[in-house]
Amino acid sequence: MSTENAFDIRKLNRRTFLKLAGGAVAAASALGILNFNHWKTISQKAHLIKYATQCQGCGANRCGIFVYTKNGRVCKVEGNPIANNNLGYVCTRGHGYIHELYNPARIKQPLKKTKNGKFEPISWEQAFSEISIKLNEIILENGPQSLFWLQYPMANASLAFRFMHALGSPNTISHGSTCYTARNAAFETTYGSLLDSDIQNSNYIITIGRNPCGGIKLYQMRELMLAKENGAKLIVVDPRHSETAVIADRWLPIKPGTDLAFLLSMLNIIIKEGLYDKEFVEKNTVGFDVLADEIDIYPPEWAEKICDIPKDTIYQIARDFASHKPKSIIHRGYHGGYGAAYINSFQTARAVAILNAVIGNYEQIGGSYKPLKAVLGELKEGGHPAPMTPTISKADGAGIPGRYPAASYSDGITHAIPELALSGELKAGFVYHNNPVRTNPNPKRVIAGYKKLELLVSIDTVISETAALAHYILPESFYLERDDSIDNVHIGNYGQVSMVQKVVEPIHDTKPLIDIITELSKRLGIGRFFNFTIEEHNNLRLKPFNITTDELKKVGIKDVTNKWTEGFKPCSTHSKKIEIFSQTLKDWGVDPLPRWQEPLVSPDKSDIHSFRLLHGKQAIHTHSMTANIPILMEISSQYNMMRLWVNTKRGAEIGLKTNDEVMIESTIGKGRIKVRLTEGIHPSCVWLPSGYGIFSKYLDTAYNQGISYNDFLPTYYDPVVGHAMTNEVIVRVTKS
Amino acid sequence: MNNQPKWAMLIDTTKCVGCHSCRVACQNQNGLDVKESFNRIEEQEFGVFPDFNRRFTPAQCQHCDNPPCIRVCPTGASYKRSDGIVSIDTNKCIGCKYCMVACPYNARVINIKEGYIHKCGFCLELIEDGQAPACVSTCPMGVRVFGDINDPESVISKMLISKKTHRLGESLDTKPSIYYITRK
Repeated sequence: MSTENAFDIRKLNRRTFLKLAGGAVAAASALGILNFNHWKTISQKAHLIKYATQCQGCGANRCGIFVYTKNGRVCKVEGNPIANNNLGYVCTRGHGYIHELYNPARIKQPLKKTKNGKFEPISWEQAFSEISIKLNEIILENGPQSLFWLQYPMANASLAFRFMHALGSPNTISHGSTCYTARNAAFETTYGSLLDSDIQNSNYIITIGRNPCGGIKLYQMRELMLAKENGAKLIVVDPRHSETAVIADRWLPIKPGTDLAFLLSMLNIIIKEGLYDKEFVEKNTVGFDVLADEIDIYPPEWAEKICDIPKDTIYQIARDFASHKPKSIIHRGYHGGYGAAYINSFQTARAVAILNAVIGNYEQIGGSYKPLKAVLGELKEGGHPAPMTPTISKADGAGIPGRYPAASYSDGITHAIPELALSGELKAGFVYHNNPVRTNPNPKRVIAGYKKLELLVSIDTVISETAALAHYILPESFYLERDDSIDNVHIGNYGQVSMVQKVVEPIHDTKPLIDIITELSKRLGIGRFFNFTIEEHNNLRLKPFNITTDELKKVGIKDVTNKWTEGFKPCSTHSKKIEIFSQTLKDWGVDPLPRWQEPLVSPDKSDIHSFRLLHGKQAIHTHSMTANIPILMEISSQYNMMRLWVNTKRGAEIGLKTNDEVMIESTIGKGRIKVRLTEGIHPSCVWLPSGYGIFSKYLDTAYNQGISYNDFLPTYYDPVVGHAMTNEVIVRVTKS
Repeated sequence: MNNQPKWAMLIDTTKCVGCHSCRVACQNQNGLDVKESFNRIEEQEFGVFPDFNRRFTPAQCQHCDNPPCIRVCPTGASYKRSDGIVSIDTNKCIGCKYCMVACPYNARVINIKEGYIHKCGFCLELIEDGQAPACVSTCPMGVRVFGDINDPESVISKMLISKKTHRLGESLDTKPSIYYITRK
């Protein structure tokens, strides 16, 4: 097919032309004159003012950006070229998210839920006073461990930990258990910390379920392209033809849930054929021999039957991967594939970590490396001692042997909150820029849990599904309206410091988080822990780096560490080496080596309507937080992007054509959606884009557009990390 | 050598992942309404599972050297600048939309508020300031290369020599200023 055929040479037929012409005549006559140029010239000449700040169009990247105002109004964004996470680029969401500043859906003052279920505006004073009285009551009666704080892990996270620790609660929780905790825990088990992949300098790159061109990380996208320009090979292993597969040398459509079989047979080939880095393995790893002893049982002849990748392909990929060592990587991954997907995800991520280790790419250019991170100055340096870390265990069981031993203290297990609320263990919670009712499995269950809380306080900018359940909503100033804590999220070859700074004055009666916490603290008897301003806090954070807050505001971001250097550095594991065999896991009663384990559930082979439901990100949306932004949602509508992907042949078998509406049913829910039949997906699964299915009636643009995978997903806790196993869901798809 | 620049763009579809960052960067730069977009991305599928691929092709005003839109404009609002940019004098535009029908690339858009026609203008205010158009600088994949094809030393001039390129709708003899690299 030639490109020309992609273009409908005349998209406008006579009828649409006349319709459009009619509208324009009306518009022109309404103006009276046709002089459009006069005001246009004025508006174009208006002075642009540039501010260096940080994006919040997603929680993860916090890209360095320049925001421009024209006549006091925010008008556009550019990338800060020195920022590690975005290298001067801005994604679709970053451009779109500035418009949220002016969205009429924003919360304009503190709100209180009345007895009839409606919200009424109240003063900040009333909000602080009533919340504090209720919270004190709950703490006195049930102890501080009955309180939680749920948030995305942003620069302000440390303020939340400080607040919760001051009150005596260990329950500060992130969205991680629905996203990435299996991967993080596996890398921590193996290396002592999460590594990054030096994509740009690599010659051979394998991604397993990771799609940086859809689940956007701008530096990863840029580096993939630079590596390819240098001749690197890119292999994308994904049941769906992802946006990253579009630029790949090879797409391997693996059967979902079987990545571990593929990886174990790669290990089998590399070990049996002696393709690993023997010297490196000998010197720097623990337990290789135990792995070598049992890897015999996973030859490619075994794996191909499980994962649907032909054995010859596995041989070739394994040999190519090893022959490019050490400038060869299996990308560390993220959510897709093994972040929190299957019962075998933790061990899948372990296999990824170990494959990188056996070819000796650790701390090598073009391999895996420990990115450098700025170590921020602390408040205690300015005479503000930190509260004690509570000795009581987290209510969700994170990090506790016998419960979820490999789960981290800082992430916790977000999707356990509803059950803990229903059982009465949790009584009160703050939800800060997070929307568990839409982003956790099984919304009916989540609603029931959050409704049981005696006090739910939402701190947000719009009334999400979760905020709609709250007793109080406290409107935070938008990221363009406030200064935030100094951030060290830009890690890499150099550790960097960066910050969100105020670009415009707050439009509504809103406050930055630090003011909200400070005011609450005064009334909760912990004011002594919050007797500093954001300026003092930030100056202390910057103290080690010889730069002031005002100087950082001019540039937005700055390198503050030495450059990363190649060569082995001791791991922060018990042995200080790379732990292929993990005694820690063994002590917990967990497989100390990755071993094959079937997914928990699989499609019913005797039912032509049975599929595994997969989901993934599109480049234009973040979680549930951007679907209400018209400039982004317009793309979803125009390009019909909310559809369910179904394999062409499987779709035809059940009588489907593209754009037919189907009913999806699982054990817990039903939903209707249009389908996109495509050859670009493994026949055993269907794929739903995430970010849609908003049902908060306060969000006009997003309301009732598309559906969410969470409506079908049963609630699971993987036994090692407690993650949500978000791909362990089988659905029936029928024409509706 | 000609001192007058002739602006052109090279779009490498083999690098495009269809993220639409160019679209929204453009909308912000040009102050466009949500429903007005100067950029669009066409997606095509090739092959049969598992030998399958997709292609994203970004498209916008092609800044033709033989522009059909200009020939049909009754007021002379649409015109070709000496630097190659097809421009619109919105002062003269009466919103008749003949140009929209004449454009074989479906690149022209109605200004919803005011009724005139507008479209990609290669971000003149940025290029006059020595910067690349918004769609070029925001793209992490480096899909777009912009520059002066009258300058033989420009990146785009060199790439037009070294790479196999084509233009959209070549049989229409519109002579676009946007060149494409496409994997067959």
